[in-house]
This record gives sequence, C-alpha cells and structure tokens, in this order.
Amino acid sequence: MSAAELSKLSTVERHKLVAVPIDGQGLKTLLEAGMIWLKTNQQTVNSLNVFPVPDGDTGTNMVLTMQAAFDEVATSGTSNVGQFAHSIARGALMGARGNSGVILSQIWRGFARALDDHPTMDVKLFADALEEAKTTAYKGVVRPVEGTILTVMKDIATQATVSVQRTSSFTEVLWDIVETANASVERTPDLLPILKQAGVVDSGGKGLMLIFEGMWRFINGDSLDKAVTEVLPLSDMDLENALETVEEGQDYEVVIDFTPKSTFNLEEYYEELSKIGTSIQVGEGDGIYRMHIHVPLDSRYLPIDHTMGLGTIQKVMMENLVAQMDERKNNKNPKLKLTLVQPDQIAVVAVSPGSGLSRIFASLGVAAIVEGGQTMNPSIKELLASFEDLPTDKIIILPNNKNIIMAAKEAASMTVKNVAVIPTISVPQGLSAMFRLIPDNDFDETVEAMNEAMTDVETGEITTATRTVEIDGVQVENGQVIALHNGKLIASTQTIEEACEALLIAANTIDYERITLFYGEDIQLSHVNDLADKIRTIYPSHEIEVHEGGQPHYQLIISIE
Amino acid sequence: MAETENKHNELGSILIQKSAIASIARQSTLQSYGVVGLAPKNLIENIRQLFNNDAKYGVEVEFDHDGLVIDIYIVVEYGTRIKSITNSVVKSVKYNVEKTVGLPVRRINVHVRGLRISNMD
Repeated sequence: MSAAELSKLSTVERHKLVAVPIDGQGLKTLLEAGMIWLKTNQQTVNSLNVFPVPDGDTGTNMVLTMQAAFDEVATSGTSNVGQFAHSIARGALMGARGNSGVILSQIWRGFARALDDHPTMDVKLFADALEEAKTTAYKGVVRPVEGTILTVMKDIATQATVSVQRTSSFTEVLWDIVETANASVERTPDLLPILKQAGVVDSGGKGLMLIFEGMWRFINGDSLDKAVTEVLPLSDMDLENALETVEEGQDYEVVIDFTPKSTFNLEEYYEELSKIGTSIQVGEGDGIYRMHIHVPLDSRYLPIDHTMGLGTIQKVMMENLVAQMDERKNNKNPKLKLTLVQPDQIAVVAVSPGSGLSRIFASLGVAAIVEGGQTMNPSIKELLASFEDLPTDKIIILPNNKNIIMAAKEAASMTVKNVAVIPTISVPQGLSAMFRLIPDNDFDETVEAMNEAMTDVETGEITTATRTVEIDGVQVENGQVIALHNGKLIASTQTIEEACEALLIAANTIDYERITLFYGEDIQLSHVNDLADKIRTIYPSHEIEVHEGGQPHYQLIISIE
Repeated sequence: MAETENKHNELGSILIQKSAIASIARQSTLQSYGVVGLAPKNLIENIRQLFNNDAKYGVEVEFDHDGLVIDIYIVVEYGTRIKSITNSVVKSVKYNVEKTVGLPVRRINVHVRGLRISNMD
C-alpha cells in the first residue's frame, strides 16, 4: 500500500490489520508504516549530517535498507511471526547500505532471533525482542560510540522492558518507546561532541526513532504521507510547480523570508498557516526560513502579520497568481521539467550552454542542469550543488565541454556520492550518451554504455572568429566564420553556408544518417531553415532536424550520427 | 621506503612516523560498525603480538609519491553485510587520517581476514 492508502484507513481498519497478539501480517503492516514514515522524513534525516563525516546520506541509506527488508516480505503470506521476522532480517542484511543500514540490519537480526518459532508476538515478547535487538546491535562493534543509533536502541529496549510491567497495551508500549526514543535522540549531542559542534542530533538515531514513530502513528490513526515538521532545504522548495496547484479562490502567493525567534515552534506555525491558506511550504537555509503560502485576496496580509510575531521578517514577496497564470500560458519559455530521481536510481547532471539545449536534455531524462559552456565554465561548487541534494548517490556528469571536464572530475572527488564523469566534449556527445541512460540499470554498466555511445556521434560547431590567427594550418581572419569538427578547427570561410558545407564533408557525413542543427541565439530561425534546405539538397537521403539550442557565440552546433 | 614522512614549513620539518598514522587508522577502524577486531598481517606479526602491543598490528602504512597507501586486516561480525562494512571502514579511515595528518590518502585496501560468529541464526 502507498503512504496515502495507508493514511486513509480508519482507526478500526488499522487495528484490524495490526491485531494483538501480532502475527506475521501484522508485523508486515507495522514494518511498512515505519518505512513509509521514515521515507516521508528522509530529507530531514539526511540534513542532519555532519558533513563531511563518512556515511553521507543516513536517511536515504536507512530507507533503502528498510525497503530491501520490506521487499523481501512484501508478497509473503506467512502468519508465523518468527519466520516472518527472519525474512525481514534477511532482506535487511542483503540490502544494508551504509553504517546506519548495517546497524539497522543487525537490529532486525536480533529482533528476529528472539521471536524465533513463536507464532505470534505479545507485548512481553516485543520487549524481549527489542532487548535482543539491542544486544545484537552492540555485538557488531568493538568500541561502541555512544550518542548514536546504538544509544537510542539501548534506551528503547530499556523503556520497553519497563513499560510492559505497567501495561499490556501494545499502543501504550509503542508510545512510551517513541517518547523515550525522541528524548534519547535529543540527548545525543551531549554524548557525542561532534554532533554538538555541528548543532545537530544523530541522524541514525533519528531515523530509528522515526521507524517506531511511524508504527505508532499508524496505530494511532495519524497520517503517514505528510511530515508534520517538514523543513526543506531552500533548494528543494518547489515554488515553481506550486503554481500548477492553484486552488479556487487562492489568488495570492505570499513568500516570506524571516529569522525565527528562539521560541519558534514549527508545528504550531504550520497549524496556524493551514488555517489561513494552502500550498504551504517552509524551507530553511543559512539561518533563514522561507515560508510559501497561497491565500485568498482579502487575507493576503495575514501571513505577514502572523509571521511578524514569531521572528524578524527580512523580505516579503507577493504575487497575484491569476495574473501570473495567464502570463505563464503565453510564455514561450516554460520552466524545465527535470526528471525526478528515486533513491538508488542513476541521476544525470548535464552542463548545458543554452536554454533550448537544456530543454532537450531535460526531455531525455536529465535530473539536473548546470548552465555553462565555452565562455562561462561553471564552478566546482555549482556542479557539486547540482547533485548534492539529489536523493540518490549514483551520479553521472556530462560536462559537454572540454574545459569543464576537469571541474566535473574535481566535483566528483569532493563528495561521498558515487560520481562518474563521462568526458563529453560537446553537446552532441552528451545527447548521444543520454540515449543510453536507463536509470534503474547497473551503475557501472550504464557508465560504460554511455562512454561508448559518446563517440558514436560527430560534432560540428560553427562560430565567428574573434581574432586573426593561424591554428592547425588554417588561416583565420577576425570576423570570419569558422567550422570546428570534434573540437578541431577545419575551415575558415566568409559565410555560414560555406562553413557548414566544409564541416559536413570533413565529418564524412555521407556515412551517417542523421544531421541535427541546434541553432544559437545569434542566428535567425529563417536563416537556419534556409540552411537546412540547402543541406537537404546536398544530402537528400539524410534525415535533417532543426532545434532551438539557445547557446551564445555558436551560431550552430551540429550533430552528425 | 622511509619509516617517516617529511613535511616542511618555514621553521623546520615535521616528521610523521608510520606507526602514528597506523594508530589513527587502527582507532577509526575499530570504531567502525561491524568490525570486531584486527588480524595479523602475517605469521611474524602474529608472534610479535604475543610479546608486545604493536601499534601497527593489523595495519600497514606505506608512503608513495602521491600519498599514503594503507592496508587494513580485519575480522568482521558474522551476519552483517561485509560490503557495507568495508566501505565505511575505507571512508572513515580516509577521513580521519587526512583530517589529522594532513597527508592525502591514495589507497586503502581492506582485507577481511575472518568472521566472528557470536550467534548462529
């Protein structure tokens, strides 16, 4: 079931699914609820990292480990809770990712061992299993570091043992556990100095707490698909697409940047805002908060008044959505639709020199675009920023320019993610490589396939010389049109037509099937169309395509394949 | 290869012994989850360990023009995913050595010499 489906169930239905004593199927539902709640809060957990410590994406790693555990039992109809738990443990072991994932798999392993051949699990056995889970988790390391997921697991186990003396209600025991886990997570910075320095709590411990919280929320009838205190990194705020979900009567969009007071309570803030409007998002970055909301015309000042009491407002942006929607409909440059990658999929970052090319890359499944090209090389920081926030650690970069390959490699070496740079020196090479992308395939195989595909294409570039020079035996006068074949200067001519002709001959076009022209911002479409017609008369059996590239300086980028 | 690595600044030189680097690598390995102990590299080391505690036990450090090459010999807890564990050993040793010593680490080879079975499932 999806998060939304699980969340829609009534309390009665939920209790029926998780009947005490709990059998295999009941445990499956609990596992799923824990996993979904962790997934919902994945980014929050990821953001707790003390960069650059090892194990960069705790949230993602834990979600993937839980997912592997769940996949193992997803179709199982076993009602014996002991056998069921062993399957979960096996799945978690096989799919364990990162430090926190390995610890989580040990926790499940211990949990399963305690249940062994028991057909069902009552609260007493649940507490015993948690105790065994803790013991097993601690066995995995010589020098356990306190203030981590291990400490949180220890506190959970201790609490469970105490709670079952008092009550036999599963819900109550679970609630005690969640409360204890929460307090334990809050204490982690006192135990581990590096957390205190970074001003965060332990991410693994938080993840473990969320799993139990998810189970409790499910039984208690709470929703699992919306994080209550969701604070996104600023770069993740989806303000552009928020426009597409404009509701009737919500005419104004208000965005407020503010620094909250120390007493600021995000949960309460969300609650107040939800009384005023819709499409609420709160993001955080560099110490400031950014709030986004859609409100009706007459309450457009309410969010400002409300926020004013809670912190210092730095900036307010207000826009009339109705007007903006109209403008959007007439806009010829719609926002890029980048591919949303799922955890564990391969994400591609492409460097693109023009808006048209960006759109083409986006349509081929690129997850992030960095603007840059010949005269505007993107910085290592920009490259890093483009993929650091993607929810996967399999990244492929297409630099699409000789001068950017170094920066891309540098960026690749500065992250904990698994990054491959395909050394594409031109846009056509990058596009050609994109055709081989299958996001769910093996990473190394994909990189190899893309590397091979890259050279399947011949690249031509037509531009204007900016000085008088002689290179590669070609004499060039300032202002002449020059043609480059695979980055090498091959001709200098008076017109673009001549340059194209020389280029197509140099590239052995006759041996290929398709010619694609990407025209830049310095050339008229009518001119390009004329040019395409001329090429068609010379190469009548070739397929000829014209696309807007939007790149500066280069009138044409030509792909021959 | 030299037993020490030389670094110079305007006031003089800094010599870092292999065994110092080995201790750091050893500490962070033992703090890595899933590692339950270090293992001897060879028979001689096995015997030497009987008489005194060697900082380099289970760890081998070499200098090379481009940086450090560290070999680590470990025993892993049975029933854990070895691939994930060795990955985090590599990451945390690299991080800790580079942070504290300031020399680039070029390679880290992790050798899993055995498994400790504390529970059969």
